[in-house]
Amino acid sequence: MQQYVNLKINNVPVRAAKGVSVLDAAISNAICIPHLCHIPGLSDIGACRLCIVENIEDGRAKITASCTLLVQEGMVVFSDTDRVTKLRRNIAELLVAQAPNSKAIQDIAVRCGVTEVRYPFRNGDCILCGRCVRFCNEQARANALGFIGRGKDRHVDHPPGSLSAYCKNCNACIQFCPMSVTPCGGPMKKGEERLCGQCESQLSMTKDLPGVCVWCELGKSFQCSRYLAV
Amino acid sequence: MPKLKSYSDLEALHKRFLEDKKSSGLTLIIPDGTCCRASGSTEVIAELKKELAIQGRKEDIRMRTTGCHGFCEQEPIILIEPGNIFYCRVTPEDVKDIVSSAIKNGAVIDRLLYTDPVSGKKVMTEAEIPFYRAQDRQLLAFNKLVDPRSIKDYIAIGGYGALTKTLSGIKHDRVIDEIRVSGLRGRGGGGFPTGRKWTECAEAPGEEKYIICNADEGDPGAYMDRCLLEANPHLVIEGMIIGAYAVGAHKGYIYVRREYPLAVVYARLAIQQCREYGLLGENILGTSFSFDIDIGRGGGAFVCGESTALMASLEGKAGEPRAKDTHTVKEGLWNNPTVLNNVETWANVPLIIMDGAKRFASKGTKGSKGTKIFALTGQVKNTGLVEVAMGTSLNSLVFDIGGGAKNGRAIKAVQTGGPSGGCLPVSKFNLPVDFDALFDAGSMMGSGGMVVMDERTCMVDVARYFLNFLQDESCGKCVPCRLGIDRMLEIVTDITEGRGRPDQINLLYELAETISETALCGLGKTAPNPVLSTLRYFSEEYVAHVEKKSCPAGVCKALITYSINADKCNGCGVCLRSCPHDAITGRKKKTHVINAQLCRRCGICIGECNFEAITAI
Amino acid sequence: MFTATIDTILEGRRSQPHQLVEVLIDLQDAYGYLSEEALQTVAKELGVSLINVYSVAHFYKAFSLEPRGKNMITICTGTACHVRGSDLLIDQAKGQLKVEPGKTTEDGLFTLECVNCVGACALGPVVIHNEKYNHHVSPGKLRKMIDKTGDGKKKEKEHA
Repeated sequence: MQQYVNLKINNVPVRAAKGVSVLDAAISNAICIPHLCHIPGLSDIGACRLCIVENIEDGRAKITASCTLLVQEGMVVFSDTDRVTKLRRNIAELLVAQAPNSKAIQDIAVRCGVTEVRYPFRNGDCILCGRCVRFCNEQARANALGFIGRGKDRHVDHPPGSLSAYCKNCNACIQFCPMSVTPCGGPMKKGEERLCGQCESQLSMTKDLPGVCVWCELGKSFQCSRYLAV
Repeated sequence: MPKLKSYSDLEALHKRFLEDKKSSGLTLIIPDGTCCRASGSTEVIAELKKELAIQGRKEDIRMRTTGCHGFCEQEPIILIEPGNIFYCRVTPEDVKDIVSSAIKNGAVIDRLLYTDPVSGKKVMTEAEIPFYRAQDRQLLAFNKLVDPRSIKDYIAIGGYGALTKTLSGIKHDRVIDEIRVSGLRGRGGGGFPTGRKWTECAEAPGEEKYIICNADEGDPGAYMDRCLLEANPHLVIEGMIIGAYAVGAHKGYIYVRREYPLAVVYARLAIQQCREYGLLGENILGTSFSFDIDIGRGGGAFVCGESTALMASLEGKAGEPRAKDTHTVKEGLWNNPTVLNNVETWANVPLIIMDGAKRFASKGTKGSKGTKIFALTGQVKNTGLVEVAMGTSLNSLVFDIGGGAKNGRAIKAVQTGGPSGGCLPVSKFNLPVDFDALFDAGSMMGSGGMVVMDERTCMVDVARYFLNFLQDESCGKCVPCRLGIDRMLEIVTDITEGRGRPDQINLLYELAETISETALCGLGKTAPNPVLSTLRYFSEEYVAHVEKKSCPAGVCKALITYSINADKCNGCGVCLRSCPHDAITGRKKKTHVINAQLCRRCGICIGECNFEAITAI
Repeated sequence: MFTATIDTILEGRRSQPHQLVEVLIDLQDAYGYLSEEALQTVAKELGVSLINVYSVAHFYKAFSLEPRGKNMITICTGTACHVRGSDLLIDQAKGQLKVEPGKTTEDGLFTLECVNCVGACALGPVVIHNEKYNHHVSPGKLRKMIDKTGDGKKKEKEHA
């Protein structure tokens, strides 16, 4: 027998099944919380930290990732406060400064309200979201990909030897990778990396970021959960 | 050795071993921990064994090798009991004289005694040495009484008496009550109330529960836990057994970092002995309580000091922390309720049970009870391990115990809490060592590392050092830590290399706020602390680096030049010969000159010059 | 024999994935590094995917996937050693050996490592040279230590 709980997200009453995450509950109720490393059906690891929310407990607001926070009866959660919006914007800024040559990352930056990038751009080719690794290990069960190294050296790699010994050629890793979508203007030249911000211009022009899902093109580009769940 | 089947068995053993100990004549006690060995204790011990045989003193003089006595600066040490005679900086050549003169109430070798730096006089006994006198060595005092390889020594001094008291008449929840009333807070850095942690675990649903001793001690500059495990492993084990009984666990682990091989050896030996004596395993001391311990080793990762990462490592995985919305007391090792406590926390448990919570709580401040061991190191005269009651001021630690500045330079700051902590200036040295007082001041107690810094330490460089450390040790999973620390390091490196801009300081603050609020684990969340505390108390150094492109402490290579002081240089040429970059020229007996273009500020010439004629400004 | 030792290490641990870190530590201690062959055997015998074995082997600093040099120079980079000048020691070692920390010289004579605190803080700066602890090391002392070990010839310089 499926048990349900009642909680409030951004003052909207939500009824969700026990055991689901706050992020899942929000998305299924058309409340938009930006996210990146989350893919429905795969484990949630809370790596990108974009889906952060304020969880009100004992009168105090605790910042936590909504993908690893399970729904509970009476929970009160906010994803649209000034504090959370600012923090999310800063995280998105770090991401786009690291890997500007991806339409998906550029779109996330716009969706999170980034208007300037205060760090020197680096042309990184992987933002270590782990989507490929988790799909390969949990769904395809090929164990062909994994995280190697720690901290700055962390990267995705396959076991030594021939990749074909493990890979099942399902191409899911390429499909889910945010870096596989090139920015519409094509790859930027070295030294000319920039914040694009052209897509969904109405989002970047208005100060208010939509809290309700508007089936934006941005979400399509980075394959937000709502699109994947369809 | 037949297993102990009851409390009276243990009591009988205690009496017997104590008699053995008392009947010995003179005992020469030599600390032989890892850093004692680094100072040469192994050679002294070997010489001592030989000399005792040669002089025929093997019957009336006993030798006991122990763990660290704390006064590391003066190693190798030999302590003679009875008499409490303290010989320091002993060399193998001194051993012959020591053995010859060692008779009860006998002669004392003056040249080997400690010299009080203030009075200039020789001090005969350990108890009179200011370094020891100013401490409150509740835990460390046991170190000289036991050879860590001997369970007999431990039982002789009353070891496992607290366990007996617990199993013979204190119910589980009463044990937890006692710990709660004592006010004991985690000694690993978090300062979480131990009683509360044990209560939550005991009440958590689940039949399978675990006890873990966190001996990962990753804070650079901290070695208190290594010392406790190397010197008195049984004290820690006794604490764990009592804790297991209290919460209902039957399996425990001591997780020791790889860099402590001797601690692993002694802990393993102690566990083996406990199993032989029936103090670990099935039906401990004849009761229905069963508990056993295994050692888990770290693979070299600071992040494994974090509880979820440690547990991942024990489970055979990479030490990546996981989101902790449900605490590990409820879902820990293999998702079972787990109590994880630091080595020093466990070591305090037998004393609390034996002497009572009230006695423990009579020391310290309102919010921080008992004593704390600190590793006092850096630019201070008396470096070593010290134990003081909570509430003791930093002044007392640095000056009364530490003896003040090494090299006669001015002390500038003290760093506590490792990479999660902060730097406090001299104006804050009146602060007590207290969890909340240090936290409010922008630092934290941490595990006990206390590094003293003087005027030749650049505080911006210290911030850079910690960021570099954290970037190296970050597991890399979450964005704020992996990318955020990287960008903070980028900015601070710019500042130390003369490329700093004022707007970068604001960016540092904003990054600090973002990382501390959004990082997944404690490593990330506290990563900005060293930067924030140095900005708070040493902003003038940041200003000098950013606006004047100078490093007042003379450390940041890009901003300093080495030059030879003509008044002090006598033209001996030592620097010229030792310079690997051919940057020094000069005639014999004439002032030498450093070519700034060729000089790489490697520091060799400064080290070689006997006249302190070379400075870095 | 190689296979004999790895057998001893795996004894009692087969099909127990949680023993992975312990097994790798024992292998590292026994052979000085983790070879591809050893890691494949471990994956098979413990029942862990090969990529996971590599993930763990690369995560922890204790493990080296390349054979180490004849001589180990380990510089302590703990806070206490840092304020006493360990940075200068690292620069000295890097410049003299022409390798980055963690790597081995081309001639296989030296491996340079940095360790975040060996717990001998009172004696800093500390350099461990082939398991021997050296205390209060200066850049000059380190230079001589390396020179004496390798076959480096000391340069004799004259006054100008």
